[in-house]
Amino acid sequence: MHETSIVNSIMRTLEQEFEIEKLNRLKAIHLKVGILSNIEPRLLHNAYSAYHITNPGYHHVEMHIESTSLKIHCEFCDYITDVEKYRFICNQCGKPSKNVIQGEEMLIHKVEFED
Amino acid sequence: MQCENTNINLLKANDFVADIIKKEMANKGTLLINITSSAGSGKTTLMQKTAEKLKDKITMAVMVGDLETERDADRIRETGIQALQIVTGGICHLEAQMVHQVLDQFDLASIDLLFIENVGNLVCPSSFDLGEDYRVTLMATTEGDDKPKKYPKMFLTSDMMLVSKADLLPYVPFSVEAVTKDAREVNHELEVLQISALSEEGVDEWCEWLLAKIKQKKDNA
Repeated sequence: MHETSIVNSIMRTLEQEFEIEKLNRLKAIHLKVGILSNIEPRLLHNAYSAYHITNPGYHHVEMHIESTSLKIHCEFCDYITDVEKYRFICNQCGKPSKNVIQGEEMLIHKVEFED
Repeated sequence: MQCENTNINLLKANDFVADIIKKEMANKGTLLINITSSAGSGKTTLMQKTAEKLKDKITMAVMVGDLETERDADRIRETGIQALQIVTGGICHLEAQMVHQVLDQFDLASIDLLFIENVGNLVCPSSFDLGEDYRVTLMATTEGDDKPKKYPKMFLTSDMMLVSKADLLPYVPFSVEAVTKDAREVNHELEVLQISALSEEGVDEWCEWLLAKIKQKKDNA
């Protein structure tokens, strides 16, 4: 259900951002989703396929999903840590941090149009 | 071929509505709290107990999201406060739009504290900002103490974790210490309180926390 909501939200957002004439030339949508976004790429692809049943106009538009890993930036020592096992703790100075710089994204990163 | 870098948030539509709710709440000075948890961890019972304790001191109301039925709203109304059911019809979380649609059914100017009792689910509700001031997540002792690392986003985005059904601690293999350690590894700013709506352990602290936040909100309005 969650993925269905997200696909609807993506398509609604694109329809608000771009003119119909341009959307008719839409070729591909590139998403960037972080590991913390609770979006499972495989399920999102399935939800997108299901979306085409009721919205056949977009059936030729590809969806590409890039997953990003989790990184935090330490405010104290400036170090960037790859978070493992959801320990939000700086690997250099050992201080905890909530300053997530990558891994929370849910972005429509890029869109491609036919000429 | 043309290519445009957009970097638009997938939940832009939701966040836009969440901001509207936030502004409305700030104008009216109403504290908005989003209550999340797994299904069956005691959210509605906590709402009933909170209403019982606070209804003579403040005006409180609840909107409650479920896939089906009015049961939770009925239970909360029995305590004498206004409660409104949002039936999501199968959707596993509340979105800002659903909250905004029913907001005009409340006389916000006279309400000090509005709870949103979210759909019982530790996954999807974590992604949707509802314009709340605070997110409070219940973690029942009957669920097992391994949840914060299994559902990190919810605990990362919460302000407080209530370890609920604390009266059952002598009977279940649940370590408050372990759950607190895991939750704080995810979110070191998370406040943790042990609570039981049945034995009333922690209920006074919970109510004091709410009253302090209500005062803060009024002072800033």
